[in-house]
Formats: sequence, C-alpha cells, structure tokens
Amino acid sequence: MIAAVHERVGAGENATRAREPGWWLVAGQECRDLWVSGRGPVLIFAFSVLLSVITYLTATNQVLNFLEQREAVNLTLQVAVAVGVLVTLVVSADAVSGERERGTLESLLLTPVSRRGIVLGKLAAALSLWFAAFVVAVPYVWVLGRGVSVVVPALALGLGVGTLLALALAALGLLLSTVSSSNKVSLAVSLFLLLALFAPTQLPTGAPQGWIGDVLVRVNPVAAALHYVSAVLVNGRGWTRDLSYLISPVVLVLLAGGVLVAAAPRIVRLHGGVSGS
Amino acid sequence: MRARWALVAGVLAALAIPAAAAATPDVTFDQDKVAVVLGDKFTLQTRVTNSGRAPTDLLLAHLNVASLTSDVYVDPEDWSSRRTQELGPLAPGESTTLTWDIQAVNAGRFDIYVVVLPNGAASAGHGPLTVSPPAYVRVAGRRTLDAGGALPVVVVVPVLLGLAAGVSRFRLRRGA
Repeated sequence: MIAAVHERVGAGENATRAREPGWWLVAGQECRDLWVSGRGPVLIFAFSVLLSVITYLTATNQVLNFLEQREAVNLTLQVAVAVGVLVTLVVSADAVSGERERGTLESLLLTPVSRRGIVLGKLAAALSLWFAAFVVAVPYVWVLGRGVSVVVPALALGLGVGTLLALALAALGLLLSTVSSSNKVSLAVSLFLLLALFAPTQLPTGAPQGWIGDVLVRVNPVAAALHYVSAVLVNGRGWTRDLSYLISPVVLVLLAGGVLVAAAPRIVRLHGGVSGS
Repeated sequence: MRARWALVAGVLAALAIPAAAAATPDVTFDQDKVAVVLGDKFTLQTRVTNSGRAPTDLLLAHLNVASLTSDVYVDPEDWSSRRTQELGPLAPGESTTLTWDIQAVNAGRFDIYVVVLPNGAASAGHGPLTVSPPAYVRVAGRRTLDAGGALPVVVVVPVLLGLAAGVSRFRLRRGA
C-alpha cells in the first residue's frame, strides 16, 4: 500500500488525483489491499457460509420452525450484524498495529498524507467490509422475510443500526490498534471486548431483568442496538419509540471517533503503547 | 355407656380437627381443552381454592407438561419460562387465580397440569400434594418458512462468493 500511496501522492500522479483528500487516497489503496490482494473476499465467503447455515436451519429445522417469520428474519439479521461488525473490528484492530509490526508504518508516515487522513482512510476501508457483509445478507433476509412486509424494514434497520455499530466498533478497534504495543495485543483486546459486549445479548429473554438489567442493556452499545432491532422488527414498535436505545452506540461513535481524530497526530507513531517514545 | 360413646365421639372429633387443618386446596383450570398451532402463545389460569375449614399453609404451585405420545420429547422449561409460583396462606373459602403464560413448542397431544405443594416451615417436604385435573392441549404442526425457496439462496450465494475469492487468489498468484 505504501508504495502506491507514495506514488500517487508524492509523485503527483496527475492534477485531479493531487486534489483528492489524503484520507480518500489511503481509503482507496486500503480497499484495494483488502479486496484484491487481502483477506476481504475470504472473510466475506466465510460470512456467507455462516449465513447460509443459519438461514437453512431456520427454514428447515423442526424445532426452530415454529418461529414466526419476523423472528426468523430478526435472528438472521442479528447474526449478520454481529458477524459483520466482528470482521470489521478485526480488520480495524489490525490496521495500525499490523503495519507497525510488518515494518510498513514508517513509510506510510513519510507520505504527505496527514495522520488524521491515515486513520480516516483506514476507518473507511474497514467499513467497506461491513457494507459488503450487508450486501451479502440481503438475499438471506429476503428469502426468509418475503410474503410478509418485513424485508424492507429489516434491511433498512440492518443498514442503519449495523452501520452505526460498525462505525463505533471500527473506531474503537482502530483506537486500540494505534495505542497497542503489538498487533497481538490489539487483536486480543478487541476480540475480548467484542465478546464481552455480545455476551449479554445471549441471556434468555424471558429472564426477569428489572431496572438494573435495563440499564445494563442500554449502556452496552451492542446489546442496546440489537434490542432496538428486535423491538421494531419483532414487537412491532414504532421506529421512534425505542430510539433512546441507540444513545450508547452514538456516544461510542462520538467518543472513540472523536479521540481517534483528535489524538491521531500524537498516537499514530512507530512505537505503540501509551508510554512508548 | 352414654359417657363411653361421648368419649369415643370426642376422640374422633379431636382426630378429625387435624384432618380438617390438613385439608388441601382444590385446583382447577379455566379450560379443559386447548387447540393451538405450533409456536402459538396461550394463557391458562388455575383457580386454587381452600375448601377446608382451616387456613392453608404457604403453598407452591408448579406447572408441568406431559406428552401423550411417546415419540415427542417435552422439555417443560421451553413451554413456560415461569413454571413455579408461590402462594400465601389461603383462609377457609378463599381462592386465588394463577396465570401461566405458555408457548406450544412441540406438535402433538399433551396434558398440562398444576401441582400444589405445601411450602410452610413445618409442612414443606411432607405433603400432601394436590394435583389439578389436566388441561388437554392439542398442538397442530405448521411450516411457516419455505425451506425449498431458501435452498437456492443458501447454496448459490456462498458458491458464487467462493468462486470469486478463488479466482481473485488465482489471478493474484499468477500475477506474482
């Protein structure tokens, strides 16, 4: 990627390209690295296999077959959002610490692109994985939800809530990647964080929760976002009635994204870790 | 002789009083037959009445589901997430109604019944148990989702994406 950015930014490929913002160039090159020579296609293929298994079981399994169509669509959509966000987080958690370990960060930092431009470009490239995952999920949602007017609302919900969640967790993963001392640490912390955030969503819904349970759901961005999806899709609530559940994902986007952009000039450097030189 | 009969009657009466104190409540369902479709949620109510002459102890009501066909396995926890309810002591003649939210998660024929157990400090673990008459539940199967329609999608999408990923890798290796 580095050489390409150098070529296109440093050498001034042409007048039009030179006017392109730095983050756009980084995003374009990162996307090429991810989708042409990287692991993007393999990750999306694995994602589609998982969705196929879930969809087939939902549609054929005798035990699951009593599910209402809305619940079946909700189940598949939640898996799509969860796994789509997971792969986005994994890619973003590797973005800076991975370049640092591969020894390519130095060259990237020498390009005329600002450090904010670098992190924004990497963020945009990581989000491309989420959008690809969403596109792959469309036929599965359609095949389960056709016949009842649930496909369009489900896709709109998945796109809106999933993008918000992907943005929040990608920013968090990128932030962890910039401050981590090694790529291993960045990936491990990101995955642990994701599992910790997803674990409460697997609690039985019939369990009594009380106000503490409600608060815990609301402060957990992943649980809150998936709760909102279920409330609209399965319980038929209005789009605005449970909108307050989206506060924590929005706060995470603002916090992680804000810190990332504001501190990028200081934290995107050759040595990771808070006390690194 | 009369005095002796009076003594016997007194003893019998004294024996009869604890029997009255141990009187167990009556338990009945509001419906004795229910017909639903697989996945349907329905509600049953049981009325617990103390028809004795003494108050009952603390009570515990427990809902159970039994399959009437041997080929259907029933896990009652799947049918209702709240199968146990506590009851306070019931005064003579007093009754209370319990509500059970149930979801039919298996197709077939079932009996649902409620057992009421004494749950006081002294009576817990000693019984007697009171069992309601069963509510007969017939659950019809249904297929809400079209498995046949799903099959082309669940096969074609991964195959296309796998081919695309494979071709991409192949071209990359050839290029290198």
